[in-house]
Amino acid sequence: MPRLDQILRGVLSLILLSISFSALAAQATGSGGAAGVGGLRAYWHVFIAYAVVLVLVLGWVISIGRRLKDVEQRLGE
Amino acid sequence: MSLYLRQIGVIVWKDLLLELRTRERVAAMGAFAVLAGVLFNFSTDRSLVRPQDMAAGLIWMTIVFDGLLGVGRTFHLEAEDGALQGLLMSPAPKDAIFLGKALSNFVLLYAVALLVLAVFMLFFGLGIGSSPAAVLLSLGLGALGFVALGTLFAAVSSGTRMGETVLPILVFPLLVPMVIYGAGATGRLLAGRPVAEVAGNLRMLGAFALVALAAGAALFRFVVED
Amino acid sequence: MSIIGIRRAGIFLAALGLLGLGVVYWMSFFWVSTEASQGIVQRIFYVHPPAAWTSFLAFGIAALTSGMYLWLRDERLDWAASSAAEGGMVFATIMLITGPLWGKIAWGTYWTWEPRLTLTLLLWFVFVGYFMVRRSTDNPEQGKRFSAVVAIVGALLIPFIHLSVVWFRSLHPEPVVITPEGPSLPGDMLTTLLVSVGVFTVLFLGLFMLRYALEGIRHELQVRARRAAA
Repeated sequence: MPRLDQILRGVLSLILLSISFSALAAQATGSGGAAGVGGLRAYWHVFIAYAVVLVLVLGWVISIGRRLKDVEQRLGE
Repeated sequence: MSLYLRQIGVIVWKDLLLELRTRERVAAMGAFAVLAGVLFNFSTDRSLVRPQDMAAGLIWMTIVFDGLLGVGRTFHLEAEDGALQGLLMSPAPKDAIFLGKALSNFVLLYAVALLVLAVFMLFFGLGIGSSPAAVLLSLGLGALGFVALGTLFAAVSSGTRMGETVLPILVFPLLVPMVIYGAGATGRLLAGRPVAEVAGNLRMLGAFALVALAAGAALFRFVVED
Repeated sequence: MSIIGIRRAGIFLAALGLLGLGVVYWMSFFWVSTEASQGIVQRIFYVHPPAAWTSFLAFGIAALTSGMYLWLRDERLDWAASSAAEGGMVFATIMLITGPLWGKIAWGTYWTWEPRLTLTLLLWFVFVGYFMVRRSTDNPEQGKRFSAVVAIVGALLIPFIHLSVVWFRSLHPEPVVITPEGPSLPGDMLTTLLVSVGVFTVLFLGLFMLRYALEGIRHELQVRARRAAA
């Protein structure tokens, strides 16, 4: 289904955007957060967490998409 | 009502009679109780921990594992010889069959629980604490809740390819309240605390057992239907 | 609503949800202010509770439709139950991973027997049991009934689990939880949180509908195959 492909593409671009946002955010909040509890080493927690959310959500999206495509193909035959 | 109770009684009687004659489960569960006590003795370093502090928890976990052993075989006989069909075709309603099975499991498990208690008291030098009756009650209510869930999910697991190995996964998460309230009560009682302190725990154990039995009775029919 | 309609609605809601997720990410990193005591790690707060809420919503749907399935025996209720359970597991996993990541900084340890975390862990295993039992029967109809029973019993005992865990925790105080949900959560943090909750819900519902549509289409395939064989 072409629509699903479109969605997958849109989703992939979302990932790239978010990753680049996160990278920017790291620099933006870098100087401000250093004074807080945990200091610099706490950063990676946040980014891993947000990355995990993305990976799992998109993982489910892609899994459903793939199965749907497969089933709809077989239906078309 | 009396017919219903009689039907349950018949199933309990049949299972207990079978158990008495073959002594399969009793032997295995009894041996487990003693040997678990032995292993726990060797796994605890008395210079680091006082066994009395851990006893209640160890007792309850031993009962849980032992119960798993026994309850997994609940429908083993019926499954092997095709006797399950016969049982289901009898005029007894499905919930009566479930309660009969659960009750016979309870008798077996409670006897083993008492053995576990005795073994741990012997091996770890425990006193019976402030109220023997309350300790026995806590074990009884815990065993009741356990067999309710165990019997229902034993029926489920014996219908799967995985069999008894899936039983812990299904039952353990739901046993958390039983272990918390049960071990909590037993621990306090063995430590000599007054019964009033654990009354809330016993009530929760009772409520848990009631809900588990009701749920099992209501849902058993969906598990065994064709 | 027809399968086609549900599929369409699902795509719409899912796309909306994904877009919303981007918005939440932006708000969380660029818009909302930094919390004073925890620093930027506190921002995990904007995805952790929403994931928890979604997983519980999903489980509620799964348990309810499971009960109705056993009662009414409509296949579609089982489609709904398994779709919801799948989503619930995804979001429970998110909650269980983000929780310790936040906990290490906020509480000093990766794991603490905090009631919500513990309940979600147990719920996660109920989901595991649900799918294990569903897929390990020779007769698929039996598998559906078994998994429905698992979901229902889980739902019935959740109150006990919650109460017991809370009680246990009150006896064994763990490191003080620095909850940002203090007496007055600053306006922008509350807004971000609420937006995130809404986004997660929309996202879940959209994907739930798509997953449901998948089951519907699979069913249609089976029906046609049976017709062709006849």
